[in-house]
Amino acid sequence: MSTITESNLKHTRSKGIARIDWVKVGSYLILLVFAAVYVGPLFMLVNTAFKTLPEFFRAPTALATGLNFQNFVDAWRLAKFPTYLVNSVIYTTVATFIYVVTTVFVAFPIARGYYKFGKYILLLYVIALFLPPALIPQFQLILNLGLYNTRIGYILLFLINPIGMIIIVNYIKTVPRELDESAAMDGCSYFRFILTIVLPLIKPAVATVTVLHAIGIWNELILPTIYLTNDALYPVTRGLIVFQGVYGSNWPALAAAVLILMIPMLILFMFLQRYIIAGLTEGAVKG
Amino acid sequence: MNHNLFGRGFSKYTPLLLLLPGFLLYVIIALGPSLATGVYSFTNATGIRGAPVEWVGFDNYREFLFQGAVSRDNIAATIRTLRFSFIVTTVQFVLGLFMAMLLNQKLRGKTLFRTLFFMPVILGVAIQGLMWQLFLLPRGGPVAQTLSWFGMRSEFLGGQPNEAFAWVIVVQIWANVGITMVIFLAGLQTIPDELYEAARIDGASGWGLFRNITWPLLTPSVNTNFLLNIIGSLQAWQLFLVLTGYKNGTQVLGYLVFAQGFGQTSGSVSSAFRQGFAAAASIVLFFLVLIIGMTAQYIVNRREKRIMG
Repeated sequence: MSTITESNLKHTRSKGIARIDWVKVGSYLILLVFAAVYVGPLFMLVNTAFKTLPEFFRAPTALATGLNFQNFVDAWRLAKFPTYLVNSVIYTTVATFIYVVTTVFVAFPIARGYYKFGKYILLLYVIALFLPPALIPQFQLILNLGLYNTRIGYILLFLINPIGMIIIVNYIKTVPRELDESAAMDGCSYFRFILTIVLPLIKPAVATVTVLHAIGIWNELILPTIYLTNDALYPVTRGLIVFQGVYGSNWPALAAAVLILMIPMLILFMFLQRYIIAGLTEGAVKG
Repeated sequence: MNHNLFGRGFSKYTPLLLLLPGFLLYVIIALGPSLATGVYSFTNATGIRGAPVEWVGFDNYREFLFQGAVSRDNIAATIRTLRFSFIVTTVQFVLGLFMAMLLNQKLRGKTLFRTLFFMPVILGVAIQGLMWQLFLLPRGGPVAQTLSWFGMRSEFLGGQPNEAFAWVIVVQIWANVGITMVIFLAGLQTIPDELYEAARIDGASGWGLFRNITWPLLTPSVNTNFLLNIIGSLQAWQLFLVLTGYKNGTQVLGYLVFAQGFGQTSGSVSSAFRQGFAAAASIVLFFLVLIIGMTAQYIVNRREKRIMG
């Protein structure tokens, strides 16, 4: 791997071994300053979560004197976090699952050009990105269907996402058509073909869309504020804000609550990072 | 070959049949309501089930734009939205590019930095908001203490509207610059090293390299970020909900739509479920986004033509 060519050697020699690369040093210094702005709020949160309330009031920024886990116990008990977590998991998994499956079935015939109107359907998804927000009429719709303040009504709101559709259509176009032919000749049904052959082949796109869509649902704060008034139906985001409304000055408990909800997200993020970034940079670097 | 190869006779329609659920959901939940916003903006709809809805013509728009003291707040919110968008777009764009360039070098630990800067994006507004409320604690919080070393003090989010507004801008950029950064980073990675080496041999350095290689070759991600930042910041308002609440002197248009439509009461500002009016306000916001977005698109296209030929 590391064949040192002559020119390379010369280069190193002329540069000298002990020479300091000031551009790198400068870059590191600036990066550390930026990092402080990101680590700072995080550190304050962790530090606060391990303090007792009197300790916090005395000196909010002083280091916690010990690992006091009482706040986590309190936060878990005082708010209905177990309920909220279950709700969030239900909303996120059910809505994401239905969304992804229905989207693949819309995307495939469009990508393959089975129907002449396919391209107009795609156009309808593209223009949605530029249309006015659906907020008000959507509320009227859910209200008049009698689905206000229900799980089903809330999930309905998350069964759509035009960007995901566009990503999946574009990806299916890269799947060779010969596959369709041989599958059809082998007598494979369309339904089975999509689920057992196409779906595994478009896994990268599906993974990206799934992760982005799921994160969007998990983090949604506005829609639960609008649509859910019963706290047995709250997802964690809404639960957190309500918890703040009640225990607003008890920052140690509040910080512990935030951490409880944050840590699983951060762990998942470590694993899913590349899908998230792939989704966000999709199409952004090509012309 | 564009034919459906699966099945004969009736089963030929299976793909169509399976396409329908997804498409109908889309039309009913997203596309239809989106178009209906325009219709609702001419009514006095409320958020109460079964309440009569009457056609009021342009009344909502008249109230939004030309009704003395009432309209003044709305217009102030519109101008504030533009100011917010301008500052956020500019700073986030420049900062995101700068961070991406720093991380595009051969540095140890750059993945860690990237992960850190990107982290807020996945945490969502509720957690972002609470983290910063704690960080910006006016009595003895970390930022307050740092400021006090320089003899300064701030009430932060609870302070004067201008001050609170400025801090929301800071948090907005903190939370979203990671997206701008990864898009620029992806763009930078498509520029081959050989180009820089060749230019260095020709005697180019520093600013010259940036101006003649990096900037033109980064065009696709420059365009994406420019448009995304403008449109995103015009529509952003959720951090205001978490950080300041609906407070006089900090409202932006998106928040105004929500507050009018779904009855947020806070401090001196109160509102009912005025969904017709809220729909009109969201149409105003829509036109703002459309006009500014199209202008930006035009600028971007012209620039691309100039560079790419």
